[in-house]
Amino acid sequence: MSNKHSWPKWATPVLLSAAMLSACGVTPLAKSDASPAGSASSSAQAGTAQAEMDWSKLGDGSQKGKKITVLMVDTDGRVSQMVKKFTEETGIEVNFMGVDYNSLFGKITTASLSNSSDIDVIEMDTIWGGQFYEGKIATDLTNVLPKETLANYTQSSVDSVIYNSHVLAIPYYSSSKHLYWNKKLLADAGYDAPPKTWDEFREMSKKLTKNGVYGSAWSWKQAESLNIDFDTIVAAFGGKLLDDQGKLHVNSPEAVQALTYMTDLLHTDKTVDPSSLQWTEDDVKNAFSAGKIAMMINWEGMYPDLNNPDMSQVVNQSDVGLIPGQGSAKSTAVSGSEGIGIMQSSKNKQAALEFVKWIGEKEFQLDNFKEMGIYPSLKSLYEDPDMIAADSTKTLGKIVEQFQYGSNRPNAPGYVEWADIQSNEIYNALVKNKTPQQALDDAAAKIDQAIQRAAK
Amino acid sequence: MRHDALLAYVLLVPTIYILFRIFIVPIFQSSVWSLYKYNLMDGSDPKPVGFGNYADIFKLQDFWTSMGNTVYFTVFSVAAELAIGFFAALLLNHAFKGRLLFRGMIMIPWAMLTLVSGLLWNWIYQPGYGALTVVLHNLHLLPDASNPLWLSSSTKVVTFSAIADIWKMTPFMTLLLLAGLQNIPHSLYEAAVIDGAGFWKKLRHITVPQLLPTAIVAVILRIIGAYRVYDILTVFTGDAKTSTSYLTYNYAFRYFYLGKASAMAWVSTLLILILVIVYMIVLKRNQDSHL
Repeated sequence: MSNKHSWPKWATPVLLSAAMLSACGVTPLAKSDASPAGSASSSAQAGTAQAEMDWSKLGDGSQKGKKITVLMVDTDGRVSQMVKKFTEETGIEVNFMGVDYNSLFGKITTASLSNSSDIDVIEMDTIWGGQFYEGKIATDLTNVLPKETLANYTQSSVDSVIYNSHVLAIPYYSSSKHLYWNKKLLADAGYDAPPKTWDEFREMSKKLTKNGVYGSAWSWKQAESLNIDFDTIVAAFGGKLLDDQGKLHVNSPEAVQALTYMTDLLHTDKTVDPSSLQWTEDDVKNAFSAGKIAMMINWEGMYPDLNNPDMSQVVNQSDVGLIPGQGSAKSTAVSGSEGIGIMQSSKNKQAALEFVKWIGEKEFQLDNFKEMGIYPSLKSLYEDPDMIAADSTKTLGKIVEQFQYGSNRPNAPGYVEWADIQSNEIYNALVKNKTPQQALDDAAAKIDQAIQRAAK
Repeated sequence: MRHDALLAYVLLVPTIYILFRIFIVPIFQSSVWSLYKYNLMDGSDPKPVGFGNYADIFKLQDFWTSMGNTVYFTVFSVAAELAIGFFAALLLNHAFKGRLLFRGMIMIPWAMLTLVSGLLWNWIYQPGYGALTVVLHNLHLLPDASNPLWLSSSTKVVTFSAIADIWKMTPFMTLLLLAGLQNIPHSLYEAAVIDGAGFWKKLRHITVPQLLPTAIVAVILRIIGAYRVYDILTVFTGDAKTSTSYLTYNYAFRYFYLGKASAMAWVSTLLILILVIVYMIVLKRNQDSHL
C-alpha cells in the first residue's frame, strides 16, 4: 500500500544535488583567479586598466552619457549637492552613495571581496593605502596621474595618498588637528598668547584649571584618535614613528616620554578633564563650546559653529593656531587627509578618472571650503582671492601654517592591527593599569607577534 | 498523485538551494577557510595550513581574555535576567488594574535596536552630565565632588554593557516565564494552600519545579544570545578583547585574516555548544531524579 507521506525514491538525490551544487567553490581562491575575466594575471590586469585610463584624453566628451557610482562620506547630503555640478559639466551621470565615515571601509571591502563592479569611485583614508594596494582594491594611478598635476597639491596631502611609491588616489582635502584656545579664559589667567611648547602648555594648564574649568580636554576614548594625539606629541619630542626597517616603533625613549607627559597631565597635574577617557572629538568640541575647557586640539570644521550663538557659549572668544612643539620642532601634527580613488573592479575607469580629476580642481575644492569648511589640497587656492574672500573667520593663514608641519602615519597593510594594539596599550597606561614604559614595551612585543602571526 | 509530488519537489529545489547557499554553505565554507592561511589584504596567496590556525588561536592571549569577558558577560546578564524576569513574571501573572498596559510597556526595550540602545546608554554613562551620575548625585548615593568614569576600563565596559543588556532582554525572559506560569494548573496551588503552604513554600515546591522546562529553554536561548554580544560594545569602546564576537569580527573584517577568524569562530562556537550540551544533560538528570 502506498503511504501518502512516504519519501519518493528520487527525492533524496534531487535534494542532495541541489545542496551539492550550492556548495561549489568553497575553497579560497587567490585574487587573480577570482577576477571576472577569469584568466588575466595581475600584471596584465594592471596593463589593461592603465590602457583604459588616459589623462590626456580627459575632457574630450567621449565619456558623455556614461554612468558612474561614487562612494563618499556625506552625512548631511551637502556633498551630493555639490557633485551635481560634475554631471552638468561633463554629461556623466553620477549615482552618489553618501555614507558616514565608519561605514566607508566596510562598503568598499564588501564590494571588493564580492568582485562586484558596483562602485567606481571611492573615498580612501590615508591609513588604508597598504591594504587597498596589496588587497588589489584600488587602482594604481602612478602612471596615470601626471607628475605636474600632483605637484599642484600640498606635500602632506600627496604623501597621504601614496603607498610604497604607488599613487592610489588624488588628494581630496588637507586636514590635521590644530590648537584652539579660549582667549578670555587665558586672559583671566594672565596669558595673552597661546603656549608654544608642551612645557608651556603644561604650566599654563595648571594656572587655567580652576573654578570648574579644566586647562584642556582630549578625545582619548580608545580609538584611532588616541593614536593621532600620541603620535603628534612623540614627533614633537623628536621621536620617529617608523624605524629604519619601516616597522612601527612604539617604545622609543621619546615615545615613553610622550606617554609619561600625557599621563602626568591627567593624573599628576590633573589639568585634563578626566572625562577625556570616554570622549570623542565631538565631545571635546562641545565642552569647549560650553566654556568648560580653556584649550583643545581638534580638527578643522570647528568654525563657524564656535561663533554661532545658537550652538556656542564662547562666541568670538576663541582663536586657532599651531599645535605646540618642543625643542627644535616648532610644531608637529598628524595628517588626516583623504583621497579619491578608483576601484580596480570598476568597468568605467575613464569616466571615473574624469570625476577624480574634477575633485582635484579649483571649482569643487572652493565649494567644499565655502559649504563645509573643508580645506583644499590644491596649493594655489591658499593664495586665491576667491578663497580668501570666503574665509569669514580670517583663520586661513593659521590653519594652513599647520599643514606644513604635518606628517603621515604609516599605511602598510598591517597598520590597522598595529594601531589597534598601540591605542589599546596607550589606554592601559592612561588608566594607570601599567606604567608608560611597560605599556609601550608590551605594545612593541604584541606588534612583533602580530607580524609573525600574519606571516604564518 | 506522483505528478503532484514531483512538481512540489521541483518547486522546492530553488528554495532549498537558496537556503543552503545562505545558511549552510557559509558554515561549511568557514570550516574550510579555517584550514587555510587566507589573508586578504597583504597580497599573499591562500595556502593550506591544516590545524595551524587553531593552534595559533589557542595560543593567543587576546582570545582567552575575550572568552573570559564573554563568559562574565553571559553569566552576569543571564543570571540577572532570570532573577528579575522571574519576579516580573510572577507580578504580571496576577490580575491588577493596568496589567495590560504594563505587559505592553515592557516590550519597548526589547523592540529597540541594540545599537540604538547602546547609543542611549552611552549618553547615560557619560561622566558629569550623564543620567547615571546625575541621578546618583541627587539620591545622595554618590558624594557631590566625585565624578566616576563608568566606562574607563574593559571590565567596566563589559559590566555596564551587561546592565544595558539586562534592561533590554529582561522582557524576553519575563514573557517566556509568564507563558510558562500560566500553564501551571491552579489545582496544584489550591492543594498546597489546603496543606498550609505559604508564599515561599508554594514558590519552592510548585512554581519552580513546574517552570523548570520553560526556564531551561529561556536560559539556553539567552546564553546563546548573550554569548554573541557585539554591537553594543562597539559603541562603548574600540577594545576588541571585550567579547569573542568583537575580536572575531576585527580579525575577519578589519584586518582580513579570514583563515584565522574562521578558526576563531569555530573554536568559540564549539566551546559554547559543549557548554550547552553539558548544561542540558545535567539538568535533564536533575529533573529525572526529582520525579
